[in-house]
Amino acid sequence: MSAAGSMQLAERCRALSVTALAFALPVLLILVPLAIFLVYSFFSVDHGEIRHELSLGNYVRFFTDPVFLPVFRNTLVLCVSVAVICILLAYPAACFLTTLKGRWRYALLMLLMVPLLMSYVIKIYAIRSILGLNGFLNQALVWAGILEEPSPLFVFNMNAILLTLTLLLIPFAILPIFLSLERIPQNLISASEDLGASRLQTFLRITLPLSLPGVATAASFVFVLAIGDFLTPQMVGGVNGFTFGRVLYSQFGTAYNWPFGAALSVMLALVVIVAILLGERFGRNRGASA
Amino acid sequence: MSARWHPSTIALAAVTMVVAVLLYSPLFVPILSSFFVVSHGQVDWSRPSLSAYVTLSGNREILAALRTTLVVGLCTVVLSVVTGTLLALYHHGRRSGRALLQFIVFLPFLMPPVISGLALLIFFREAGIERSLLTVVIGHTVFVLAIVYRTVLTRLQSMSRTLVEASYDLGASRWQTFWRVVLPNLASAMAGGAILAFALSFDETMITILVTGTQTTLPVRLWAMMRLGFSPDINALVALILMFTVLMCVLAAHFLVPRRSADTA
Repeated sequence: MSAAGSMQLAERCRALSVTALAFALPVLLILVPLAIFLVYSFFSVDHGEIRHELSLGNYVRFFTDPVFLPVFRNTLVLCVSVAVICILLAYPAACFLTTLKGRWRYALLMLLMVPLLMSYVIKIYAIRSILGLNGFLNQALVWAGILEEPSPLFVFNMNAILLTLTLLLIPFAILPIFLSLERIPQNLISASEDLGASRLQTFLRITLPLSLPGVATAASFVFVLAIGDFLTPQMVGGVNGFTFGRVLYSQFGTAYNWPFGAALSVMLALVVIVAILLGERFGRNRGASA
Repeated sequence: MSARWHPSTIALAAVTMVVAVLLYSPLFVPILSSFFVVSHGQVDWSRPSLSAYVTLSGNREILAALRTTLVVGLCTVVLSVVTGTLLALYHHGRRSGRALLQFIVFLPFLMPPVISGLALLIFFREAGIERSLLTVVIGHTVFVLAIVYRTVLTRLQSMSRTLVEASYDLGASRWQTFWRVVLPNLASAMAGGAILAFALSFDETMITILVTGTQTTLPVRLWAMMRLGFSPDINALVALILMFTVLMCVLAAHFLVPRRSADTA
């Protein structure tokens, strides 16, 4: 009896230690840093020294200071715009992919995904040189007679950030939309055509509604990636393109206020969580696979 | 097939073309420039040359950063593949708390990298760990862990239970079953996960910039150089990295896409 009992106990101890071992690394390197980070957002800075006393000061500052809320709002508008433009470009591309057959479909999909793996810094640099005063875009517009002389409209401002983020993030919009379009059963489309619907009707009443979950996922992907980016705005935004990510990053550099930066990060995290939950809520495919 | 192309399909094809041009123009401009002489920041399209590649081979700073990136990438791959595989096995073994564990592992991948990076930065400071390549490797591992974990877990879940049972029936011990049945079946998923992890680590910029010490990886070095403007040899580097990336893509596809799907197409 007792031998069996101790065997069982040993077995449970073993299971427990395996669990502890499995959790050790993720908890130590992911959960603990995030927890410390959260606590930091309630600290403050006094003469360049971090004061380890809890207060809501950073959050009060965020909501009352006239600087931060407008930047926050502008950044939200910017990232929503990026998401919308990405989807407007990605949706037709994803539709086109589904009209292709077999190998071609996946080859083209791969082709549209490869730029994702290319060096991010170099892409930003190249886009900046394309948008710049002597850049390709201005030269082309002048050559086409649309502009009389090169315009500084496309670089070192909010437009530049919008264009650059869009260019960087389109592939993230293509993939989920393509996957949701691909999942639409072909017989639904055939049935709609058999019943005399035109191509437009079929698209508006069958394809579009069934692909909306993919659109929602794409929107949440692009938005989250755009709002978390602090390097792109830093590089192409100049002095006029100030985004939330840059304000946040500057707290850990020039402004040197880590606790306030942590509080800003918490606000960022909240927005991201809401965006992910919304994407998850509307991105779920309701019974289309059935 | 092309005979059936409707005007709307042609319009879609046109938009797709535009998207492809938009996606590839930031890659092709530097690559094209790498084969021409650049003087005073302007590309001289009438003078093709390979001088950019010659200059690159003598650029110590860039080559050192490239070597650092490769070392960081390899360490990240080893750490993340070992940890990710163990965690996937733990999850698959129907152990307690696996949903929570999965959630924790996915956190750094879901949250913006700036948050993971800053959290680690503060953590290292509080723990008294100097910022160095070690902290960069930890940052990268935390970031790519979810990918390796998910890749291996997906393979585990698609693996037939009967394989393991057959192994036990034939008298193999747990360890023998693991080494001779489970692991060989996971090998290609682990290889695919490793390549993805390496690709992500190779280009990781935002976490790296926050947790790096004096010695740093290529993207961060490029970032620092970009403020001053690039020298022409960077264009050559872009061309080489693109070729390398395409090669990695082909390899990853080779390991991750099941062979048979090619026939069903």
